Amino acid sequence: MTTELFRQKTGRYICGLSAPSEKRQIQTWLSCTEHKQQVSQEERENIENEIVAQVQAYVVSTLFEPKPESWWKKITAFF
Amino acid sequence: MRRNFTPDQTLIDKLLLDDTTAFEELSRRYCYPLYSYCMSKLNSKEDSKRIVRNIFIALWESRSTLPVDFSISVHLYTEVRKAVVQCINIKLNKAIDVEAIEKEIIPGFSVAELNKAKIPIHINESNNRPSFVKKRNYEKLQQYKYSAFTLKELKHSLQKMLNFW
Repeated sequence: MTTELFRQKTGRYICGLSAPSEKRQIQTWLSCTEHKQQVSQEERENIENEIVAQVQAYVVSTLFEPKPESWWKKITAFF
Repeated sequence: MRRNFTPDQTLIDKLLLDDTTAFEELSRRYCYPLYSYCMSKLNSKEDSKRIVRNIFIALWESRSTLPVDFSISVHLYTEVRKAVVQCINIKLNKAIDVEAIEKEIIPGFSVAELNKAKIPIHINESNNRPSFVKKRNYEKLQQYKYSAFTLKELKHSLQKMLNFW
């Protein structure tokens, strides 16, 4: 399979326009979980901490700077 | 943060109250499996981290509109699969890491590689089973064998007796 064909195939899959066989092929590939990388516990914790820290930074920022409430939320709160 | 064994559903319920501790626990619980999955598919640390981070941020953003029967594992599984395909498509559209995709990802679409997904997980039970279980089962089998044999013999002897009479 060429990269161009692969690009078109993934594009169709994202848009939900792929043929059933293409869809099945991509879903089967996504379900293949044989390859597993061996990572040390320390490295694993580092990765985990890094991702969680980034997520938490975003979460805290949203709590301190809340978005303006939408009109439908104001109406539901009123009732 | 100290890890706890609170069920997922309880933590999800706490998200409605903007409980950041519950969200942190949830993200810690599922962060590495998601990262590992992305790594196995994309072979890119940066992309994997970005995908996982975006999935959790999207979950936090949609915390107030989660359905009643929401299953976090199903949601994350669906989202990560979608994100992996989107990431590949974006890379190909922008012509980034095309060679790496050609060498590492496209070969995974061969028939031989895809067939691996269909092979059921085979666990060799005889190796994992403790020796006393093996012995007990063997004895049980022997018992059934002998009992079947005796019943057969009894049937034959009864038939002979009836024929005789």
